[in-house]
Amino acid sequence: MKQAIAKIMVTLALFVSVMAQEQDFESPSAAAAVRFEPLRIYLDSGPNNLAAFQFELKAVAGKIKIVGVEGGEHEAFTEPAYYDPAALANDRIIIAAFNTGSDLPTGRTRIATIHLQIIGDIEPEYELHLTVAASEDGNEIPAEISFE
Amino acid sequence: MIENDRNPDSESQFAIPPGLRDDLQALYKPDSAVPPEVDRAILDRAHHRLVNRKRPFRGIRWAASAASVAAAAVVIIVVSLDRPRDAAPPSAARFTAALALPSDIDQNGRVDILDAFKLARNIESTSLPKIEWDINRDGMVNRDDVDYVAFAAVRLNKGV
Repeated sequence: MKQAIAKIMVTLALFVSVMAQEQDFESPSAAAAVRFEPLRIYLDSGPNNLAAFQFELKAVAGKIKIVGVEGGEHEAFTEPAYYDPAALANDRIIIAAFNTGSDLPTGRTRIATIHLQIIGDIEPEYELHLTVAASEDGNEIPAEISFE
Repeated sequence: MIENDRNPDSESQFAIPPGLRDDLQALYKPDSAVPPEVDRAILDRAHHRLVNRKRPFRGIRWAASAASVAAAAVVIIVVSLDRPRDAAPPSAARFTAALALPSDIDQNGRVDILDAFKLARNIESTSLPKIEWDINRDGMVNRDDVDYVAFAAVRLNKGV
C-alpha cells in the first residue's frame, strides 16, 4: 500500500513539474483580463501607386502579444507579408511587402491587419513608424501610415 | 403403497438403522481433536513466516516501476521541449537562413524591402541573371533570393 502511494506521489510530482514547464511565465493570472483585437494598418500613398512598403509597430503602453498577421485589402497585397516569426508572442513587429505587378493601389488602403492579444486592463498604446514606401519604379514616395 | 415400493428414491429403502449409524460414526471419528492452543500456535508461526519472508524480486519490481515512471517523464519532457510554443510561418527556416549574408542590394547602407523589391524586378526583367543576385548562394537566381533579402529586412534585432 505504501509503495503504491509512493509511486502515485512520484508520478504526480513529475506530471506537475512537466505541466509547470508548459506554463508561460508571463501568462496572465486568472484575474487579468485578456482579449483579442485586430489592429488595422492603413497607408495613404496619395496619387502614387503603392508597390512596396515597410513599417514597424510596437506597443509603448499596456501589455500585448502579436498573435497573427493578415494581408491587405487590395489584391496586390492580400498575400501574407514578410515578418520575423520571432515577432509572434512579442510586442514589436516589422512588416513589409511588395508587388512587381501593375495593378497597384493608390490613395488610402488597408495594407495589413495585426491580430493582438491584449493582456490586462490598461489600454495599449502603439508606436507606428513607416520605414519606406515605394512606387512601381522602386522610388520612394511620401505616404502616411495610420491604424484603427 | 405399490407405487412407493417401485420408487427407488424412497427413503424407506435407504433408511439406516440407528445402531449401524452410531457404529460408523464411531469408526471414522478422529482419534483426538487438535487442541485450540496448538492450532493457534501453528497459525501464529505461519503468519510470522509469511510476514517476514524476504521477497527476492521486491527490489527489482520497485526499480522497474521507478524506471518506467522516469522513462515516461523523459518522454513527456522531450516532447514538450520539442514542441514549438508558437506556430511559425512555413518560411521560418528560410528566415533563419537569411540572417547570415548581406542583403543590401541597392547599397544605401540599410536593408529594407526595397532591396528585395529591386532584386525581384531585376530578376523578372532579364533572362540572364547576374551571379551576384544569387544572394543565398544556392547556385540559382530565383524567388528564394528575393525572399532571403525580404526576411533580412524584417528581422527584429537590427536597426532599419
